[in-house]
Amino acid sequence: MGHHKEFIDKPMLDAAVTGRAFKLAAVIGGVGLAATAAGLAMGEKEQFFFSWLVAFMVFTTISVGALFYTIIHHVARATYSAGLRRTAENVAANLPIMAVLFIPVILGMHTLYHWTHAEAVAEDPILQWKSGYLNDTFFLIRAAAYFAVWTALIWFFRRTSVAQDASGDVALTFKMRKYAPIGVLAVALSITFAGFDWAMSLDPHWFSTMFGVWTFAGSLVGFYAVQALMVLWLSKPGRYENTLTVGVRHDAGKLLFAFTIFWAYISFSQYYLIWYANIPEETAFFQHRLQGGWENVGRLVIIGHFLLPFWVLMSRHMKRNRTVLALGAGWMIVMHFVDLYYVIMPNFHTHGPHYHWMDLTALLGIGGLWLAFIIRRYQKAAGVAYRDPQLIASMEYDNA
Amino acid sequence: MATVSRDDTIFPPPLVAGDPTFGSITDTICRIVEKPPTIPWLVAFGAASTVLTMLLCAIAYLFWEGTGIWGLNNPVGWGWAIVNFVFWVGIGHAGTLISAVLFLFRQKWRTAINRFAEAMTIFAVICALVFPGIHVGRIWAAYWMLPLPNQMGMWPNFRSPLLWDVFAVSTYFTVSLLFWYVGLIPDLATLRDRAKGKLAFWAYGFFSLGWRGANRHWQNYERAYLILAGLATPLVLSVHTIVSFDFAVSVIPGWHTTIFPPYFVAGAIFSGFAMVLTLAVPSRKLFGLQDFITVRHIENMNKIILVTGTMVGYAYAMEFFIAWYSASPYEAFAFVNRAFGPYAWAYWIMVSCNVITPQLFWFKKIRTNIVLTFILSIFVNIGMWFERFVITMSLHRDFLPSSWDYFSPTLFDWAMLIGSFGLFFTLFILFLKFLPAVAIAEVKGVLPQANPHWEGYHKHAEGGAHHG
Repeated sequence: MGHHKEFIDKPMLDAAVTGRAFKLAAVIGGVGLAATAAGLAMGEKEQFFFSWLVAFMVFTTISVGALFYTIIHHVARATYSAGLRRTAENVAANLPIMAVLFIPVILGMHTLYHWTHAEAVAEDPILQWKSGYLNDTFFLIRAAAYFAVWTALIWFFRRTSVAQDASGDVALTFKMRKYAPIGVLAVALSITFAGFDWAMSLDPHWFSTMFGVWTFAGSLVGFYAVQALMVLWLSKPGRYENTLTVGVRHDAGKLLFAFTIFWAYISFSQYYLIWYANIPEETAFFQHRLQGGWENVGRLVIIGHFLLPFWVLMSRHMKRNRTVLALGAGWMIVMHFVDLYYVIMPNFHTHGPHYHWMDLTALLGIGGLWLAFIIRRYQKAAGVAYRDPQLIASMEYDNA
Repeated sequence: MATVSRDDTIFPPPLVAGDPTFGSITDTICRIVEKPPTIPWLVAFGAASTVLTMLLCAIAYLFWEGTGIWGLNNPVGWGWAIVNFVFWVGIGHAGTLISAVLFLFRQKWRTAINRFAEAMTIFAVICALVFPGIHVGRIWAAYWMLPLPNQMGMWPNFRSPLLWDVFAVSTYFTVSLLFWYVGLIPDLATLRDRAKGKLAFWAYGFFSLGWRGANRHWQNYERAYLILAGLATPLVLSVHTIVSFDFAVSVIPGWHTTIFPPYFVAGAIFSGFAMVLTLAVPSRKLFGLQDFITVRHIENMNKIILVTGTMVGYAYAMEFFIAWYSASPYEAFAFVNRAFGPYAWAYWIMVSCNVITPQLFWFKKIRTNIVLTFILSIFVNIGMWFERFVITMSLHRDFLPSSWDYFSPTLFDWAMLIGSFGLFFTLFILFLKFLPAVAIAEVKGVLPQANPHWEGYHKHAEGGAHHG
């Protein structure tokens, strides 16, 4: 052991810091939710449900991405991410909250999902064929199962992790490692079918074997963007500046960069194979999204979700620069929203984009609330797993 | 903290077992090359080159007679040539994955296995390249695959993934070869410095490019290695992606499905790691490399096999689910026919070997059992060959029931499949004899005493903690 490092930051964030952040997030969330509720009261029911679904999907996928990262850390027995994992745990712990925020989707099922209409199914042989899977009861059972799996997993991993703050017991790390592989399987399958249910079935005739992987890829891009912003916030002077080193920030940037490419690979493969084979039942999906103005949103996704971040985040210098990383990560959260908007919203505004203020208020409302709950967790427990036996080793990677 | 056994410590055990010194590592690895060929080596080389001769004879007859000697028929116009091509290209992924991707991920355990995994990659790609080369039938026109300007104004179809394969695989081969060669240079210089004979001195000296181990040499070397790793990583992914496009851009049920690119890449890594284990397990015993390729290395590789095998299983499940969900009768038929039609035997061999048996690696006892690892790695090799066979045989029942047929391989199909293993093993056995099978310089770099802050100079016998 050459340079002996040790944990010298304060385990807890200052109450003033978290208090300010909490207040800001809660106000944004409150105002956003109130405005969205007003929109619903004004009678724009259909727009409300679609705007809500997009915002719900943005933050649910990010939370599931965080859950995946929490667990994969233990599967891979990673060292570098010891200082990052509490952030992932805190974000993923919002999944039970997302279950509550799913209630409007249930209430709006009839508006959102064409296959819930008995009369539509009656005259459509394809929907009849699928009705063993696409029916109200099974849809709700599946949603309950996804949230149950996610809640159980994050409850176990976060509780065990916080318990280690008190005891510093190495056995807890082994305990988490023991259950991690099965957790990864459960997350992979649940996010796949959640993607099929909540987004793909909006267009119930359309299908793609890649859609589950696509949902997963977007989830991780969204989460890595959030993680990069959180690390920047947590590594400011007086917080965890000695623990979350420039090397850790660099790693957060690398993950964002790598999964931006992974997302592009998956999205391109899906588009390209459908375009090349040119079978009508598959191309219809992209046909809708390439006309009436939607094609401009598609161009924005290609440029904003891949080309721009690819060139900006490739450089080591950019990833280690606080301002560039913050801009890049913030931009990618917006792009994650645009990506989901591009998949979900054309099912409602079929003839071209029709931007509505509720798209924004629902996003800010759910997002503010979501962030406020995350900040709460920093008020209750340490912001890094400071007695993780691998933490000191993680601080020694300088990524030079 | 209570005392814990070595397996339970939070950090993994040292990468090199047996407390070696820098000198003992050089001696162990160079001795394999320097001592005269052993009887087992001669027997293995004789057997492999005999099988290779069979391949050459079969190819000669193919050129003389044409592709009619294969079992191709009307709906199945693409037979074992494409199956064998995809099989070998898939195996050719592990080397660069271990070398480049694990290098970028700073997985230091790769150092013991990267050298011969890379060699294996290059030989597997050579085997793969044989099949598109010979399957054109009119071999004298094989150069038409390349976009060469000509007075007939004839060009290959640039819209066809088969042409992109030509570019992707040849680029991949070139970069893999360069990557392997750059990594070899310091070790070739070591062999040069130890050479007793004139020929060995001259040959190793020529290929080590005047390496003297100077500081500047190392700096350039490290930089070149990093750049090649960065270049090789997208290439690994692109090759099997494009191979998957060969099938997936078509409108054939069972071939056209959007998950094919990542599914093929996962399958390639899966089969490549299995082949590395198939080769590593006997080699480490035969050449006394147990201290370098430890049980920990084998366990790590088994974990990657478990992960990628499960990904492949996920892809099979998605194909089946969406075949039902799509409500397309052709899609549904293609998959039901796979599982319960005339080729059901092949389908269930594939599922058993690729999805079911790798699940045994959930158990640490099995992951760390050398004999079982070897057996299961062969299962994966078989399963992955059958995966490509099952996919290709989607052709046997096409849209027109009157043309349905059953593909049966001929003697020449068999001769070429088995013969390709002869080519592969001949090259691999030659490699073991003439080049250092383990990256000498890199293994030294992961020893605890390579760390400039190592505290163990005075108490070397304890082995030292290697982290820090």
